[in-house]
Amino acid sequence: MKIFIDLEWFFRAYWKKYAMAVLLFLIIGVADMMIPLLTGRLIDDVVNQTMTQNRLLLYGGIILAIAILVYVCRFLWRVILFSASYKLAEILRQRIYSHMTLMAPGFFQNHRTGDLMARATNDITAVEMTAGEGVLSATDGIITSIFVLSIMLFAIDWRLTAIALLPFPVMAWYFRKIGTRLHHSFKKAQEEFSNLNDRVQESIAGIRMIKSFGREEFEDADFLKIADRAADANMDVAKTDSLYDPAIFLTVGTSFFLCVGYGGWLVHLQELTLGQLTSFTMYLSYLIWPMFAYGWLMNILERGSAAWLRISEILETRSPVSDQGELTGIDSPSIEFDIQSYRYSDVSEPVLRDIRLNIGAGDTIGIVGHTGAGKSTLVNLLIRQYEGPEARVNISGKPVEDYRLMDLRNLMSVVPQDPFLFTASIEENIALGRPDSTLEQVREVARLASIDDDIVAFPNGYDTLVGERGVTLSGGQKQRLSIARALLADAPILILDDALSAVDVATEKNILSHLKAARHNKTTLIICHRLTAVEEADQILVLQHGEQEETGTHSALIRASGWYQRMFEYQKLEQTVESGR
Amino acid sequence: MNQEDNVNNKAPKRSFKRLLSYARAYPRLLVQAAVLLLLATAAEVSAPILVKIFIDDFVTPGKFPIDGLVTLAMLYIFLHLLSAWSGYLTALKFNQVAFSVIRTLRTQVFGSVIRKPLSFFDHTPTGSLVSRITNDTEAIKDLYVQVIPTFVRNSTLIIGIFIAMAILDLRLMLVCLFFLPSVILVMLFYQKYSAIRFHRARSVLSQINASMNEAIQGMKVIQFMNQQKRFSRKFNRVSDDHFSARMDNIRLDGMLLRPMVDLLKILTLGGLLMFFGAQSLTGPVEIGVMYAFLSYLTRFTEPVIEMTQRLNLMQQAKVSGERVFTILDGEQESFPQSTSSISKGTIDFDNLTFGYDSNNPVLIDINHQIPEGEFHAIVGHTGSGKSTLMSLLLRFYRPDSGQIRIDGHSIDNIQAESLRQGIGIVQQDPFIFVGSFLDNICLGKNINRERIERAARQAQIHDFIMMQPEGYDTIMSERGSNLSTGQRQLLTLARTLAHDPHILILDEATANIDSETEAVIQNALARLRGKVTIVAIAHRLSTIIDADQILVLHQGEIKQKGTHQDLLREDNLYRHMYEFQQQSEELEVLGMEITN
Repeated sequence: MKIFIDLEWFFRAYWKKYAMAVLLFLIIGVADMMIPLLTGRLIDDVVNQTMTQNRLLLYGGIILAIAILVYVCRFLWRVILFSASYKLAEILRQRIYSHMTLMAPGFFQNHRTGDLMARATNDITAVEMTAGEGVLSATDGIITSIFVLSIMLFAIDWRLTAIALLPFPVMAWYFRKIGTRLHHSFKKAQEEFSNLNDRVQESIAGIRMIKSFGREEFEDADFLKIADRAADANMDVAKTDSLYDPAIFLTVGTSFFLCVGYGGWLVHLQELTLGQLTSFTMYLSYLIWPMFAYGWLMNILERGSAAWLRISEILETRSPVSDQGELTGIDSPSIEFDIQSYRYSDVSEPVLRDIRLNIGAGDTIGIVGHTGAGKSTLVNLLIRQYEGPEARVNISGKPVEDYRLMDLRNLMSVVPQDPFLFTASIEENIALGRPDSTLEQVREVARLASIDDDIVAFPNGYDTLVGERGVTLSGGQKQRLSIARALLADAPILILDDALSAVDVATEKNILSHLKAARHNKTTLIICHRLTAVEEADQILVLQHGEQEETGTHSALIRASGWYQRMFEYQKLEQTVESGR
Repeated sequence: MNQEDNVNNKAPKRSFKRLLSYARAYPRLLVQAAVLLLLATAAEVSAPILVKIFIDDFVTPGKFPIDGLVTLAMLYIFLHLLSAWSGYLTALKFNQVAFSVIRTLRTQVFGSVIRKPLSFFDHTPTGSLVSRITNDTEAIKDLYVQVIPTFVRNSTLIIGIFIAMAILDLRLMLVCLFFLPSVILVMLFYQKYSAIRFHRARSVLSQINASMNEAIQGMKVIQFMNQQKRFSRKFNRVSDDHFSARMDNIRLDGMLLRPMVDLLKILTLGGLLMFFGAQSLTGPVEIGVMYAFLSYLTRFTEPVIEMTQRLNLMQQAKVSGERVFTILDGEQESFPQSTSSISKGTIDFDNLTFGYDSNNPVLIDINHQIPEGEFHAIVGHTGSGKSTLMSLLLRFYRPDSGQIRIDGHSIDNIQAESLRQGIGIVQQDPFIFVGSFLDNICLGKNINRERIERAARQAQIHDFIMMQPEGYDTIMSERGSNLSTGQRQLLTLARTLAHDPHILILDEATANIDSETEAVIQNALARLRGKVTIVAIAHRLSTIIDADQILVLHQGEIKQKGTHQDLLREDNLYRHMYEFQQQSEELEVLGMEITN
């Protein structure tokens, strides 16, 4: 029931709708109660032979009026009540979405996509059901029960009521027993289904092996065993689940038996009329639904409660990186790294140690090193994806935290190694940062990124849809598109984080020379594996195991005969082999 | 070409009939269920008649003879118990049929999937395949467990009730009859208009979820480009769209579903009462009959409503059925002319050309012979096509042109059994499944214990296995995760040796073996020289040097052929590859990790 309190903010905002719905329920309740009453009176009139044609027509008219009134009210409450609960769902969706836009990337690393999606879909549905079906069954159930019981007890006969209701507590107890047994066998059935899933997954993953060893028949036999177990578990569930219907049937039957038996006796004693007995029987049937509704209601509330917890957990999470700065942009920014040490919070070894690097405005810097040397971490500190107490990163002398996040981001364009394309046209993807760009502006950066030719070759050119439901671009094409995107944003600092790994050597050379011309006075950071990309950099930083191994220009590093030189020669040889010579 | 796209509109009807046809395999159960159902129904619909008798023959006249009362009461109780018991058994029988059908369907689909050619798996995401075999069959299960029994039971009940009503009073029964066609009409009307609205709401929801998913994956980019507000606004618009689509739905539901059915029910009741009342004005009537009819009225309206509520389950089952049948009817691997077998192990690649898609050939005009018992190595950089050549040799794909021959027979003519047994692989990342060591070595074939142990000893893993708690019968954990990489390699070596193939493929595509494991493999290979034809996708220099012939591939073509010494003499690709390999190994030893 607590969930109703949790959602109090919503009920308060939409109280008019809920009040209206309750009112409609009351009207329907009253109208519904009239029907057995009228039936009883009509029967008594027939028995007592006081029926006349006019009276009959009157009965007919009232019933017709009630029928139509009830129909209209039922339609109305559905529309009103569900419009409220549907609204709740959309409110929650929109809140979750906008909340996520405020979360730093660390948030998305702590929460798996599948989990977030489950909260944004299934959990929202569960909460919506509480505000809709939950309120419905609670209200309808309560109103119906109160009305019906009152009439049965006070307007007809309390003794008959007591006797007729005897079987129901027994049924409730029996239901609970079935419920527990069902819970266990249901869990077992779910486990078997899970096993089935896992088995199929495994077989398909190992299809090569199955084929190369000719294991098809063996797999068939094995699968049959699991499918058999699943069928048996399902049968177990069915055996218990099928007990509900007979239980209900027998309870209701017994109740009616008692009702008619004792009621008939009362009629004989003239303490009750046949009409009243008929009404009573009809009212009895009205009680059946609220009883089931109760169980269903508990189920909905339970699920809604759990779901709400998960949703509010997300909504109350704060971003790992705070936005408290006040400085806005700067022209010609310079960058200063002064990192004593940096470690990810849960791992004890520092990932970066003793890095001191100054990058002047307009410089081109290369950062190289083996995989895991810490290159990307350096960039992540610059863009404030992470931060650490002993890792100082300054822009033109001021710490990065002192800048407003939005302005900091405006200063830099990052091209990641694994670019993300949205389900949209190529043009829209490139113009992501500057949605108001013209096609000509988009084409200009596409040319610089050496991708314009590829795009016009597509059947729909720049309107071609990419992303999940669109055309799949090759790794190299995605990277070039990402570069174009960053170029369009035209920030003072461009960061290529291993952004050319999927691009071949010749194209890479092309792009770099375009960049050099286009970004003449702007700062560029190139992080890569292929050393040919940084040959012309103003400075190159070699990172090894998080430390600054060598620093210098290309020629200086070649002369130094260290890591850089060896790697350079090795890569030259690799290039030869790759081109087939 | 995605098979999912080839579903046309006629398919739903056909798939429904096909789904039902599976039940024909269980005639005895169905007959039993039918008999029990009739029994339960007859018992159920007779009860109100007893009540009528009580009211008309006992209450109204005011006479209560004990014998009569007791008989009536006993009969009533008996009928109820009979109905409950038969009803329970009917449900069980239906369920049995249902679960047997699903089991059959599942094994059929599974068997069909694993016999599809490998190209099928390249184009179909694993997730969707698993879904076919598990989730789609669950939806079909719902059809059998929830929809069909409901329809059969409820239809029988309704017919039974109407027969009973007709026996009591034909004209009153006719009044009630008005209810049925009205409901059916309303339902048909509803189906027509709701389908569009339903699909619209579903597709908008799909969009919302896709947007949410995309936002989660790409939030970093959205934030770096400072586009949070724009994306939020876009999302909110779709969300509002969803709201109006659902409101559309609920308005239609509110008009035509439950409220309408209830309206019809009350109108039917009104009709009954009017008719009854009018009858009473012109002659005597029996109250008990009215009582019985009121009783029946509830009992047949609920089943009708229940059936309409199950309609959308039926819809889902049909769609799932289509998807499952698409797989069952899809292509299967077949080699109809298989008559030959492998006995020696000579391999002949004859003018082979192949591409995964027709525009990009991965192998071009490959010509090479490997005589029986020789050891040939294939080298080449990434993208050279060497793995593809092995896949073709294993008959995973058919070449676009040219042929592969083994012992002079075209590979297509070789019996599957002989091919699989005749060619063995030692893989870099072997697939180890949940089972015992024994299972993983024999893979279900009947190999005698002696041969197994001999193979394990040759692979130098016998001692390790014997140290396990149950020796060869010890079950390995998921995918052999408690074994080291080296041990898994040796296990796969033992597996291959135990099967005694004529041709052995060594897949060394990446070079991550420790030197000990490498030595064991080299030893085993050395012992097989001359007896088994060995084809190696080589990476390590030590492997390459010993080969009888080396094939140098570059971008799908054979660039050079010869022995190691011959090839080194030319200042060409092979020599550079060799030097490059050496340098890689040197740098690794120095601890200078290779960047790739």
